Amino acid sequence: MVDQGELRQKAKEVISREDVRRLIGWKRGTYGFEAAPAVIKDPSEADELVFDPTCVQNPASFVTLEEKPPLPRGVEPDLRKVGVFAKGCDSRALIQQMVEQAYERDHIVVIGIPCRGVIDHRKAEKLFGDVTPDLVEISGDKVVIEIGGEKREVAREDVLMAKCLRCRYPNPLISDVLVGGEVEKFADDDFSDVDEFEKKSPAEKWEFWEKEFSKCIRCYSCRNVCPMCYCPECVVTRLKPQWTRRSVDLSENTSYHIERSWHLAGRCIECMECERVCPMDIPIMTLNRKLTRDVKELFSYEPGTDVEASPLLTSYNPQDPEEYIM
Amino acid sequence: MSDEFEPTIIAFLCNWCSYAGADLAGTSRIHYPPNVKIIRVMCSGRVNPLFLMNALQQGADGVLISGCHPGDCHYLEGNYYSRRRFVLMHRLLEHIGVHPNRVHMSWVSASEGEKFKEVVSEVRDKVKEIGPMNQFGRRQINW
Repeated sequence: MVDQGELRQKAKEVISREDVRRLIGWKRGTYGFEAAPAVIKDPSEADELVFDPTCVQNPASFVTLEEKPPLPRGVEPDLRKVGVFAKGCDSRALIQQMVEQAYERDHIVVIGIPCRGVIDHRKAEKLFGDVTPDLVEISGDKVVIEIGGEKREVAREDVLMAKCLRCRYPNPLISDVLVGGEVEKFADDDFSDVDEFEKKSPAEKWEFWEKEFSKCIRCYSCRNVCPMCYCPECVVTRLKPQWTRRSVDLSENTSYHIERSWHLAGRCIECMECERVCPMDIPIMTLNRKLTRDVKELFSYEPGTDVEASPLLTSYNPQDPEEYIM
Repeated sequence: MSDEFEPTIIAFLCNWCSYAGADLAGTSRIHYPPNVKIIRVMCSGRVNPLFLMNALQQGADGVLISGCHPGDCHYLEGNYYSRRRFVLMHRLLEHIGVHPNRVHMSWVSASEGEKFKEVVSEVRDKVKEIGPMNQFGRRQINW
């Protein structure tokens, strides 16, 4: 459990710095099992910041989201740094953004928080209904949730996000300030879910995706929340050339999902935000996981682990696999 | 005309090797299946994986991407990038349920007219075996 006092103290120190203009973190949400993202600009606001297993949202998404309107003549741009809280998975998003040169390392101040897992609101709502917990913490291999003065203990598998049950990077990979001590690695990833899905025949796979893709309402939430989707103009909404028509039918939905997951090939850092925000419960990560597994298997490449790495698809190795080439 | 299914195959050929290879097949009077519709691109590295998706959407039954042999690229490294991309795209489409034999990639140089014929025949046979692509083809919309 991260000490909230220490967290706020460190946040205050960072935001008080002369060269930091804002800080992105989490504050208590108004309802349900999710904390809300918070952007603070003043040390006095630091007391509203929190960190507990309800802080699911990936703050790395906000770093690239900032609008940069043209400035009036004579006004200097504000080039001061942005502070950002980062769990293990969030730090991978930050690294991958820097690998793609979205910004320089000097642009951000990372406040790393070792994390032992976050709550999946779907699982939690199934167990507890539509309630707002007073306290959520992880102790040992149990999750303690206090609702209306009553404490309940649940197994980790029952409420935590799937990504946390296979988390390989609980500690932030980069951090300037670290809150709390590092935690020990508690899980591993064997991609057994991908292997399981791959046993299906092409017809069965398509039957599955046909059902899932036809649910899609194309709200583009998965794209908007993704820390890796920060192009100023997205290929999906582009009109010239128009790769995907706007009509919501199976053909266009399929092409949208192929485009989205393809553009994350070798970039997806598996924060599972896309699946979390999906209003239609489409298992989007099944596509991303497949690509992550293949990228790891074929090119021994893992996105978001090394700031010095070059992006996967803008580099090559003459010895790359040629498995299906005639 | 027989009622037998004949697949439509879209081939993206690189200008410097594979297109010249296809040209050689033509000038040498080598017969190859007429199912293949050739689109000439300057390099196999030019082929965006979305071209492939779009071809399948618009009614192609199979897609072939062909470029220079590794190391022979006119632009030195285009086919290396292309190789990386398509191995992933191929696997992604397979994961979605598109039969893996619908998408092919080959290296055909300008002197390999005979190989071009073999590649195209093989692709035709494989795609014919699977049957028409009716998964996410666009429906005709009359506005």
